[in-house]
Amino acid sequence: MKIAAFLVAACVLVLGGALLPAHADPTETDPDLAATDADYAAARKAIAANQWEEAIARLRKAEVRHPDHADLQNYLGYSYRHLKQFDAAFTHYKRAIELEPRHRGAHEYIGEAYLMVGDVPNAEKHLAALRAICLLPCEELTDLEKAFAKYRR
Amino acid sequence: MSAKQLALIASASLLMASSTAALAHEDEGPGGKLGKVSFPTSCAPAVQPTFERAVAMLHSFWYNLAEKTFSDILAQDPGCTVTAWGYAAILMSNPLAGAGASPDGAKKAQAAIDNARRTPPKTERERDYVEAVAAYYDDWANRPEKARQLARSKAFEALAAKYPDDDEAQIFSALYIAGTQSQADQTYAAYLRAVAILEPQFRKHPDHPGVAHYLIHSYDAPPLAEKGLIAARRYAGIAPDAPHALHMPSHIFTRVGSWDESIATNLRSATAARTASDWPEAYHASDYAVYAYLQLGRDDDARQTMEEALRYSGGDTPSPAFPYAAAAMPARYAMERGDWKAAAQLKPIPSKMPFTEALTYFARAIGAARSGDTAAAEKDAEQLADIHKRLEMAKNTYWATEVEVQRLAVAGWIAQSKGNTDEAVKLMRASADLEDHNEKHIVTPGRILPARELLGEMLLEQKQPAAALKEFEASQIREPNRFRNYAGSAMAAEAMGDKKKAADYYAKLLELSKKANGNRPELIRAKAYIAQR
Repeated sequence: MKIAAFLVAACVLVLGGALLPAHADPTETDPDLAATDADYAAARKAIAANQWEEAIARLRKAEVRHPDHADLQNYLGYSYRHLKQFDAAFTHYKRAIELEPRHRGAHEYIGEAYLMVGDVPNAEKHLAALRAICLLPCEELTDLEKAFAKYRR
Repeated sequence: MSAKQLALIASASLLMASSTAALAHEDEGPGGKLGKVSFPTSCAPAVQPTFERAVAMLHSFWYNLAEKTFSDILAQDPGCTVTAWGYAAILMSNPLAGAGASPDGAKKAQAAIDNARRTPPKTERERDYVEAVAAYYDDWANRPEKARQLARSKAFEALAAKYPDDDEAQIFSALYIAGTQSQADQTYAAYLRAVAILEPQFRKHPDHPGVAHYLIHSYDAPPLAEKGLIAARRYAGIAPDAPHALHMPSHIFTRVGSWDESIATNLRSATAARTASDWPEAYHASDYAVYAYLQLGRDDDARQTMEEALRYSGGDTPSPAFPYAAAAMPARYAMERGDWKAAAQLKPIPSKMPFTEALTYFARAIGAARSGDTAAAEKDAEQLADIHKRLEMAKNTYWATEVEVQRLAVAGWIAQSKGNTDEAVKLMRASADLEDHNEKHIVTPGRILPARELLGEMLLEQKQPAAALKEFEASQIREPNRFRNYAGSAMAAEAMGDKKKAADYYAKLLELSKKANGNRPELIRAKAYIAQR
């Protein structure tokens, strides 16, 4: 799923009460970081509005408190990619995958980023990773395959 | 907050206002019987017994009552500012759950700490307790939870080192060390450091609620669980009026497959919770009891326990305990007994927490696939895919992974039903591998059926008994003493021609099922096999 589409859908879920409160009941499930961190929530809004510098600034602030958050790293990679700052984008995508090796979004986006700089071998590594993860069909694999098809045309 | 808890809080206030002579008795006072705690302070003698009861509540994670009790102590004796330590400790919440204080809780805790700094406790030791807990809240908004936990652990280790004769300092130090345990560390280094402090304390203070409680948590990992049995067996007796103390031992009993003990403590817990109108806790305990009954083949008892639980509405709470148990119990009852047609007919219960609905769709899909209705299984698989997507959107990574485990298993059994055996095993193995890397959540005694056990059953159906037995035996490491596992292991060994192993597993199954009151075909087969030898 594309990040912008995800952000719209996530807002709907939040408003619909589908997210769990961020209290510390011993049986609680993972709360969405956006429910507890104002900078992270603001960064997601900035991404939805294509405000990449603002998104990076807010994500950097949130990163101080949540250095091991894979989605946050993925969003940083995504924002830097839009600014065509590929070295920074790769750093954050790699960190996201290091934190969560099955992070489908990060594999898709880093694969697309490698295609954008013409690094096909590295892009193929992430295509292979997605094929291993997506034994059941997943959008991220389909989207990266489409990016490959477009690149090769 | 439950009616019983409100009543206990009210009784706390009344007792605070009355003579405190009775509070010196262990069983009398707010909270009932909570175990023995000695925590000398410079506070007014009138509040000292209640202070120690509040510390006992803190040790049993009875936070709402402890918070009220510490507040009442301060109201009665404004100079008793060491209460700031207890108050701030409560607001860190369960140190072993990892979530930490809420932003609002952190503000309230810091205000209490600031008050104690303006009006310091009279002794250096009490001031040191306040500063130790303050280490967690220092620059709270700008530090990740892991850094706060580490700072807390180091501060309490320093406190324990400064006051080597203060056993409470040693015990809290052990708790906060255990709170730094990483899920990724399979050596359980932090847990074992905590154990090294707690075991000598357990010998010294066999009736201390914190020592027994924290030992259970520190041994709550598959390779350590056996060592937690003594503490688990003792804790409920130490603090029988603390709701957490009644249920908590069953986490160890479940890990080691001690089903009779799990049933006994969970039935007590469910009864106490119903008396207190604490419906999520009642459902939670009932689910643990149902799971345990089913491992013993006591199917009638499982059904009665489930029906008793389902008579009551679980209410609308933020805890997943009610919707999870409400969906899990019927799914377990059908699937543990291999009643695939009944599983396929289960009714999904709408929930704000979609992962609880997923339990029913998982059971329906596996049930349909294994009873030959592939089309129905595929429809339910679509529901699981939708739930998986919703969980990913909500960034609920843990439960999204659990549902992915279920989806892979369902896809595997659909492939099996279509005769695509290689594809079936590939998908089912991926499900099992993924599940192995995602620890079970504390809301559940176990998955509806363990994925690796399902892989064993699939391989057995495919007439690959040696491969099946390998998976069954691997599954026993994390999910010991399960009925379906022993039955599957025995049938696999029998199919391989390994008569001794088959007899051993059938004997284990019969031993496990001595009090069985269902009509499982596996037991008929086991008895016949043993009789013919």
